[in-house]
Amino acid sequence: MEKKIKLTINGKEVSARPDMTILEVAKENGIDIPTLCYIPDLSPIGACRLCVVEVEGSRTLVGSCHTPVAEGMVIQTHSPKVIATRRVLVELMLASHPDACLVCDKANICELRRIAADLEVGLPRFRARKHYYPVEDEHPRMVRDMSKCVQCWRCVIACKGESGTPLFGTAYRGFDSKVIYGFDQPLGSQACDDCDACVEICPSGAIRKVRKAGEERANKALFIKG
Amino acid sequence: MAGKGVITPPRDRADLVERLKETQRRYGHVPEEAIAELAESLAIPVHEVYGVASFYSFLSLKPLGRNVIRVCKSLPCYLKSAEVIMKAVEKELGIVPGETTADGRFSFELINCIGLCDHAPAMLINHDAHVDLTPQKIKQILKSYE
Amino acid sequence: MPQPRVVLKNCDVIDPKRIDSYLENGGFKALAKARREMTPEQITGEIKDSGLRGRGGAGFPCGIKWEGARTASGDAKYVICNADEGEVGTFKDRYILEKDPFTLIEGILIAGHAIGAKQGYIYLRVEYHYLLDHLQNALNQVKQKGYLNGFSLEIREGAGAYICGEESALMDSIEGKRGEARYRPPFPTTSGLWGKPTIINNVETLMNIPPIIMNGADWFSQMGTERSKGTKVFSVSGDVDKPGVYEMVLGSPLRELVEELAMAKNIKLVQIGGATGRILPGDKLDTPLAFEAMLGAGAVTVYDQSRDVIDIIHRTMEFLVEESCGKCTPCRQGTEVMVEVLAKFHRSEGSLRELRNLEALSSAMMLSSLCGLGQAAPNAVMDSLQYFRDEYEKRVAK
Ligand SMILES: Cc1cc2nc3c(=O)[nH]c(=O)nc-3n(C[C@H](O)[C@H](O)[C@H](O)COP(=O)(O)O)c2cc1C
Ligand code: SF4
Ligand code: SF4
Ligand code: FES
Ligand code: FES
Repeated sequence: MEKKIKLTINGKEVSARPDMTILEVAKENGIDIPTLCYIPDLSPIGACRLCVVEVEGSRTLVGSCHTPVAEGMVIQTHSPKVIATRRVLVELMLASHPDACLVCDKANICELRRIAADLEVGLPRFRARKHYYPVEDEHPRMVRDMSKCVQCWRCVIACKGESGTPLFGTAYRGFDSKVIYGFDQPLGSQACDDCDACVEICPSGAIRKVRKAGEERANKALFIKG
Repeated sequence: MAGKGVITPPRDRADLVERLKETQRRYGHVPEEAIAELAESLAIPVHEVYGVASFYSFLSLKPLGRNVIRVCKSLPCYLKSAEVIMKAVEKELGIVPGETTADGRFSFELINCIGLCDHAPAMLINHDAHVDLTPQKIKQILKSYE
Repeated sequence: MPQPRVVLKNCDVIDPKRIDSYLENGGFKALAKARREMTPEQITGEIKDSGLRGRGGAGFPCGIKWEGARTASGDAKYVICNADEGEVGTFKDRYILEKDPFTLIEGILIAGHAIGAKQGYIYLRVEYHYLLDHLQNALNQVKQKGYLNGFSLEIREGAGAYICGEESALMDSIEGKRGEARYRPPFPTTSGLWGKPTIINNVETLMNIPPIIMNGADWFSQMGTERSKGTKVFSVSGDVDKPGVYEMVLGSPLRELVEELAMAKNIKLVQIGGATGRILPGDKLDTPLAFEAMLGAGAVTVYDQSRDVIDIIHRTMEFLVEESCGKCTPCRQGTEVMVEVLAKFHRSEGSLRELRNLEALSSAMMLSSLCGLGQAAPNAVMDSLQYFRDEYEKRVAK
């Protein structure tokens, strides 16, 4: 049997396999850490930083989705410092997000809004330039609106593409970074088959299904404080 | 750009940045055809190559002039009146940063610290360092680039 | 007090174009000693005992890093010399590469022997392209004389990105990718270049290796303070009469560097460590230059009384927003928000509410950014708020 290690999460001693991440151990123990860029079973990206937790002895917070547990680790997943940081992160994502929730097709199932609501984030304290990219609507089943992208890169790692060529990549750098298709061109009508992996996985309204007139929305409307 | 096969084929993925720089040197920018060619020879998606080409500031997706002037705008140069140098270049060439002269002789860009702050204000033209600049020197320096 | 020359001892003494000139000055004796008389374990032990800490900015103990890579298991291991020198106001590595490339190469070869690496890279920023032939010439001569001894050393050039000086982004860049930071662990010493054990050291750090091997750890650790041993090479720029490169024993007062050596007058503030560095007001010049206080890579930019603090901080942030790799939320978004807020203060349109928000933002960036760029990006803002808050308050919109 594999050797187990002991660590402390939120004051409670737990045991874990040494190859687990903090996030996995937390989950196993019923502790819910918010994540955005993380997709179970794929290698972590570490980009969104929402999953950060406090680890005793560490100068900074650490990303729980990619940090393995270690013997004797003392972890706080919801300390005031952690919560305050996560709130700022969500506010930073919203800071350059278009104020278009009212007319967004994904509003009712948007993970970004759910995370914001969970963290009791209302109107963001920060404002930043917005990105204006044309909506890409040539594809028969999906629409891409990169103005709404929060750069979690989930679609980049989730899409395996036909013949093993992923559809999306990252381009430019810094605040101008963008998830692109091809030579940063609009997603054409033939771009891919209809696996929908990216549509389902996109946490914002940046990639969504084409909604046919009269078709019902997937979920009940979600109410947001704020 | 002339057809396929004009870029030295990359040995492996690690060679990509070097080949992109070679493309830049030869054609003054990294054209889509070159990106497609590099992607094909490495068997990686074009967005991968495009992503690399768009990341580095010495690679350009848009055509640049034969000579690229990069005047340093970071603080140590700014303290030594880099803005006067920028104005001098503007006046000499009739273009502002981000532009290329109509005859394609010069592109003018601003750049972050190039490690010549002990001789500020400084600039690079192509890969040549020009230091301790004065507006008077600019005219002379520019003359030596065809 | 005359300052000893350890790192710069050969500069302007040897002819950097001729290896014979280096050999006449004791060159490659340390390498011979390391290869013939010392085991890898003894070498890493000596470096550990010397107390040498990294000169590239983070100040990580060099010997501990080497020890990690030496004991890591792997069929291939790599040594990387970080010559990306992108921090604003830093040019000491350029000076060293120009004047003494041989000691650097000797240091790299000793590092290779110490960790069991057969291959090394010098990652040179493309802005220093004019040094490429010079460096290659030195390398060729070392090869001709047979000192490589089976070690393969290659120069790799960047393509314009400050973030590629960050160790994980640098490795991605060598691998032919976008220079984006990786999360750690795993650390490079166990999983670095192409996933193999790798040590990455700054130019100046490696310059210290041959003298430590020759003269011993005790000789080295006599210099400096409790936690900062040896000397440091500073790049001094800005409002000084004598900008340039100065080597000083660690722990020397900042005042000696900026006032006595570089001849600054009327100092309003000093920026130490470039854009990601710290800010000290003119009345704190007795601060020691050491890791205990602040150091970074040793960029020292002096601003006199005529300068506007908000302008300085705004420009500092403009650098960072342009150079952020863009991978993680706090840095990509946070630096942009900061630039926009600072621009408002610059136009005298700031608000007190924004100042408070700036503090919350700084804290989140420091705590959650993926790499050192985002973690250190708020430094200048926070320091200036501590020492020059009144200048911000004066710029609040009426
Ligand atoms: C944004 C950023 C830029 C950096 N740039 C450099 C650089 O140009 N040169 C350098 O030696 N280290 C740089 N570093 C530090 C490296 O990540 C790394 O710590 C260093 O190369 C290790 O070598 P040392 O221990 O010998 O200092 C940078 C770090 C960060 C976060
Ligand atoms: S398009 Fe959606 S899934 Fe892709 S990076 Fe943007 S927000 Fe994430
Ligand atoms: S902190 Fe900045 S530079 Fe570092 S990974 Fe995040 S976005 Fe990139
Ligand atoms: S979920 Fe861990 S960094 Fe995004
Ligand atoms: S600031 Fe211009 S060269 Fe450093």
